[in-house]
Amino acid sequence: MRTYALRRLGAAAIVIMLVSVAVFIMMHLLPGDALIVKLGATGRIPQDRMDALRHQMGIDQPLPVQYAHWVGHIFDGSMGTSLIFDGQKVSTRIGDALPITLELGVLGMAAALAIGVPLGILSAVYQDRPLDYLVRVISFLGLSLPGFWIGLVVIVYGTRYLGYSPPRGYVGVLHDPIANLKLIWIPVLVLGYGLSASIMRMTRSTVLEAQREDYTRTARAKGLSGHVVVSRHVLRNALIPVVTLVGNQAAFVFSGALILEVLFVLPGMGQLTYTSILQRDYTQVEGCALVAGAIVVLINLLIDLSYGVIDPRIRYA
Amino acid sequence: MAAIAEELVLAPRAAPPRLVGGLLGFARHKPVAAGAALVLLAVCLVAVLAPVFAPYGPNTVFLRDRLAHPSSRHLFGGDQLGRDVLTRVIYGARVSLAAGLGATALGVGFGVLFGVISGYAGGLFDQVIQRCMDAIMALPPIILLMVLATTLSPNLRNVIIAIAVFVTPGSARIVRGAVLSVKAMTYVEAAQALGVPPSRVVWRHVLPNVVAPVIVIASITVGSVIIIEAALGFLGLSVHEPTATWGNMLNTGAQSYMEQAPWLALAPGIAIAVTVFAINLFGDGLRDALDPRLRGR
Repeated sequence: MRTYALRRLGAAAIVIMLVSVAVFIMMHLLPGDALIVKLGATGRIPQDRMDALRHQMGIDQPLPVQYAHWVGHIFDGSMGTSLIFDGQKVSTRIGDALPITLELGVLGMAAALAIGVPLGILSAVYQDRPLDYLVRVISFLGLSLPGFWIGLVVIVYGTRYLGYSPPRGYVGVLHDPIANLKLIWIPVLVLGYGLSASIMRMTRSTVLEAQREDYTRTARAKGLSGHVVVSRHVLRNALIPVVTLVGNQAAFVFSGALILEVLFVLPGMGQLTYTSILQRDYTQVEGCALVAGAIVVLINLLIDLSYGVIDPRIRYA
Repeated sequence: MAAIAEELVLAPRAAPPRLVGGLLGFARHKPVAAGAALVLLAVCLVAVLAPVFAPYGPNTVFLRDRLAHPSSRHLFGGDQLGRDVLTRVIYGARVSLAAGLGATALGVGFGVLFGVISGYAGGLFDQVIQRCMDAIMALPPIILLMVLATTLSPNLRNVIIAIAVFVTPGSARIVRGAVLSVKAMTYVEAAQALGVPPSRVVWRHVLPNVVAPVIVIASITVGSVIIIEAALGFLGLSVHEPTATWGNMLNTGAQSYMEQAPWLALAPGIAIAVTVFAINLFGDGLRDALDPRLRGR
C-alpha cells in the first residue's frame, strides 16, 4: 500500500508539472507579447524604451528561462503579478475566488450523489418497469441539456413568473451561511442535476450486475429481506465504480461550476478566469489554469488512494 | 512468406455485412435508437438545406419585428435586431453540426492514433504519451477551451481544433485499453510469431477489432462536443455574430433582452437539447448493438 501511494504521488507530481508546461506553452502561442498586451497600443513608444521594459518584465529571455522564472514564482507562492491590476499577486486573487468554486463544486457533487444514487438504485430494482423508464429519461435529459441553458431558463422564467431574482453581490459562507445558501442553491441544483445523469446510469448498471452475483443469491437464499440484501450486499459492491466516476468527473465539476459562476455572477474561479481572458491578463489566466489542473489531479489521487479503504479486496503489492 | 502464412492461418474473412439487412435488424431490435437516428437525419437535412427550410435569410432584419412575439410570421419570435429566430436556429444547426462532427472526427482520429501507438508499443513511449494525455485531461475542459479559444482567433476551424484537443485524450485512453486487450489475444500473438511486421499486425488485426469501441466513443462524443461548442458560444468565445450559432444566440448580448423577450432563450436551447438527446439515444443503442458485453444492461 505504501509503495503504491508513493508511486501514485510521484505520477501526480509529474502530471502537475506537465500541466504547467502545457499551460505555459498554450499561453505563449499567442501572437505578440505581454508588453504589447499590457500597453494595449504599439508604435507610439520608442523601440529602446520597449526593449528596456521587456527586459524589466523578463520577457526578452528565451522561453525555457521564462518558464523557470514562472515556476520560481509558483514556489514562492505568488504565481507572478497580474498584468492588469498592478502589484496584485495572482495567488491572492485566486485565494479569494477558489473557496466559492470549491463550495459550488462540493455541494453540486453532493446534490448529484443525492439525486443520482437513489434514482439509479430504484431504476435497477424496478428494471424494465415504468419507474425504470422514467429514471432513464431523466438521466438522458441530464446528459443532453446544457447546464448553462437550464440556468438561463430558470433565471429568465423564474424572474418572470416565480418571483426569483438572480443574486446580486456575493455573501461568503462564513459571513452569513443562510444568505450564502440562498444565493447558491439554484446553481448547485443545476450543476448537481447535470452531474447526476452519469451517476444514475452507472449506479443502475452496477446494481444490476451485483444483483446477479453469487453472494446476492446466497443472501436471498438464506432468507434475508429484499431491503437488507440491497443495502448490505448489493450496494456495498455496486458503489465502488461510482466512487471512481466521482473522481473522473472532477474536471467536469469544475467546468460546470465555472460556467454557472459566469451566468449567476458568482465571483469564483470561473468568473476570474473568464474576466482575465477578456482583459487579456495572461499571468492570471496561467495561474488559474494551473491551480484548476492541480486540484483535479489531487482529487484523482485521493480517489485512487481511497480504494484500499473502501474495498478490502484490493491489496496493493 | 509470412504474409501468405498469415493469410492462410489467421484471416478468416468475415462476409461483408449486408448494409440494408443490418439497418433493418438494428431498427427492429432498437426501435428507440432507430427513431433517434431518424431525428438526427432530419436535423442534418435541415442544416444542409437551410436556405430551403428557413423562411427568411439568417441576417435579414425586419425593423418592425424587433423582439416580436412568436406568431405565424415569426414562429419563434424576432430577436433584438429584428431577425427571425427560427431562421437563425436553422442556420445555427450548420455550425453546431459542423463543430460536432469536425471536432469529433479530428479528436477521435488523433485519439485512435495515439491510443493504438501507445497501447501497441508500450514501454517508455506509452508512459510519456499517457502522462501528457493525463495533463490535458486534468485541465477542466472549459478552462482549456477558454485558453485555446483566446489564443486562436474565433472562427469555426479554430473552434474545431480547440475542441479536438479536448476530445483526443479521452478517446486515446479508451482505444489504448481496447488495444491492450486485443494485443493479448492469441491471433495477434500468432501473427507476431509468424514474423508479420508490426505495422501490418496493427492494420490487419488490431485496428479492425477496436473499431466498435471507436464508433461508440465517437457517437457519444458528438453530443458533448455540441454542448461544449454551445457553451463557448454562450461565453462569446466561439464563432462570432453575425453568423448564427445555437450558443451565441444565448450569449450576453441576447441575455439583456430576455427579460422583455423570454422566448429568445427557448428556441436555441431546445434545438441543442433535441439534437443531443437524439445523439445520446442513438449512441446508447449503437453501444448495445456493437458491444455484446453490455447487452441487457
